[in-house]
Amino acid sequence: MEQMRQQWLHGFLDLCLLSLLAERRDYGRGLAERLAAAGFDEVPGGTLYPSLLRLEKQGLVRTEWEPSTSGPRRKYYELTSEGRDAVVERTQGWEGFRAAMDAVTAFEWASTGERSS
Amino acid sequence: MTSSQEWGAQLTTHLIEAGVEAEEAHKLAGDFLAEAQDAGQDPVGLYGPAMAYASTIAQTIRTATAAIAPLDRVRGPVVLRLSRVTKRYRRRTVLRGVDLTLRGGEVAAVVGANGSGKSTLLNICAGATRATSGTVERAPRVGYAPQQHGVSPLLTAAEHFRLFGAVHGMNGRKSLAIGTHLSQQLGWRPRPDVIAAHLSGGTQQKLNVVLSELNRPDLILLDEPYQGFDQDSYLDFWDQVFKWRDAGAGVLVVTHLLHDLERVDHLLELPRVDES
Amino acid sequence: MTLLTVAVTSLRELSRRRVALLFVFVLPLVFYLVRIDVPWQALRFLALGVGWAIATLALFSHVAARRLDQRLSVIGASPTALFFGRQLAIISTGLVVAGIYFVLVAVTQDVPRLPAVALLLVTTVLIAAPLGAVVSLVVPRELEGALALLSIMALQLLVDPDGTAAKLLPLWSTRELSAYAIEPVGATYLHQGLAHFAITLVVCILIAWAASILRLRPVRLDAPDEYQDATPLNTHDAGPDGANGRLRV
Repeated sequence: MEQMRQQWLHGFLDLCLLSLLAERRDYGRGLAERLAAAGFDEVPGGTLYPSLLRLEKQGLVRTEWEPSTSGPRRKYYELTSEGRDAVVERTQGWEGFRAAMDAVTAFEWASTGERSS
Repeated sequence: MTSSQEWGAQLTTHLIEAGVEAEEAHKLAGDFLAEAQDAGQDPVGLYGPAMAYASTIAQTIRTATAAIAPLDRVRGPVVLRLSRVTKRYRRRTVLRGVDLTLRGGEVAAVVGANGSGKSTLLNICAGATRATSGTVERAPRVGYAPQQHGVSPLLTAAEHFRLFGAVHGMNGRKSLAIGTHLSQQLGWRPRPDVIAAHLSGGTQQKLNVVLSELNRPDLILLDEPYQGFDQDSYLDFWDQVFKWRDAGAGVLVVTHLLHDLERVDHLLELPRVDES
Repeated sequence: MTLLTVAVTSLRELSRRRVALLFVFVLPLVFYLVRIDVPWQALRFLALGVGWAIATLALFSHVAARRLDQRLSVIGASPTALFFGRQLAIISTGLVVAGIYFVLVAVTQDVPRLPAVALLLVTTVLIAAPLGAVVSLVVPRELEGALALLSIMALQLLVDPDGTAAKLLPLWSTRELSAYAIEPVGATYLHQGLAHFAITLVVCILIAWAASILRLRPVRLDAPDEYQDATPLNTHDAGPDGANGRLRV
């Protein structure tokens, strides 16, 4: 089950990161913690950082190094204007997708007469 | 050297081998080490082994810089037309009445069991073999990657680029530059002192593929060019096929793998033709 | 120019076949030493050794390059450039061998007409290269080709040189020229040797050249009608070549 959830998240990780950054700029570890807090399983660094790199290469995110209070410098990620456009567009796409998923899975629940609220 | 630095050095090496520019490879390694340090974790614990991570990163860079939205495809003029092509060897009919019209900006896959005449068809398209009957028309600028023996085992990659470049009328420096650039797109950095015989099977095939696109032909003919490719290279190859397509070339790929064929425009299935 | 690039590339390929090159250098020496007691024979055998070695080198070189040459001709290389390029590489190698052995002969033997020795070795090389190519094109497999060459060389050694049959063999001129070099014979030997050489050379080259064109020339395929009427597509980045193609990729 956990592996399947990992695969699902892999498809949406970019959108999650963009959305979190739309809320506020953050650094890698911070984003990982927020994902965990939202209810996702732990995202390994080997998956998280390549996604961030991809967003940076696509121009959706810009990065900045800041000297951090606890010693080593820290890399902060921030949305660009293209990134903001992408969040809007992809969230719309996600909402359509989610509606379709809900319709299909809800149907199955109804037919077996079982539904957890 | 600490284990972090060692991880960083390995990462840099493998990134460069996978085609990333040295300067960027060093920068990336430094950045990743710094982020690991900030997170208070060992790089290998945070990212995984350096070599696998390098492979992921290199692929991410390659695919990220491709266009995000697919371009509206323009179907160009016909670059290859086969009409009722038949090939007979003595008593054996290898191909019977094959038809295909391939335009620039399209991909055709030719599939069939072993012995169904796929390679023969490719050779007929190239002009290396004459069809017994039927007509073959094709654009003059063609790239051709036969399955075997298309490269010289005793020559280095650079020498291949120069040789093929000379046939296309390019001078040595230009052909070397183009060849190296095209190799990087497949995640490979050719070494100057390694002859083709000493390359791994997958890398030899990458050389094969690069040579077929050296002069940016209008029609590219490839015969099962990914034997020996690992999964990443196989995906890179198909990315390359679609890049060629998007740039306006017609691509014909002979394959016996039925995976990933939803995105091709023409699927030509050759039946196993029995001896007549 | 394609021909020169093919020549240079073939030379590089040849230089990496160490064992073959060793054979090419050592075989004539063996032939020479076997007959060292009879100067005229020694010289002739030396020439035959050089000829056989270079012809075998040419045979294997052309056979090994067949598929690559086919690929190159499909993408537009002229079979003539491919053929003569490879020949140039083989002849260059042969001339180096000839040069070395010329020095050897000059040092080890007291030869009345030394320049004739040079002539002998050079003409042998010039025949051997296309001869090997002819065999490779007629018998396109290495083993069978090598056996064919072996047969020719064996005949060359065994057939009575004075008979008419001998004149049909490609290296008959070696006998005439080596005689001219060693013995105080008249210029007829020289002239006959050179005449035979010239004819053999021309015949071998023509046959090999024609055969390679026949084998390599790709089927002529016309472009589809629509292709010829096409207007060039715009490119995203400027293509690297300046060649005129109808369709720019």
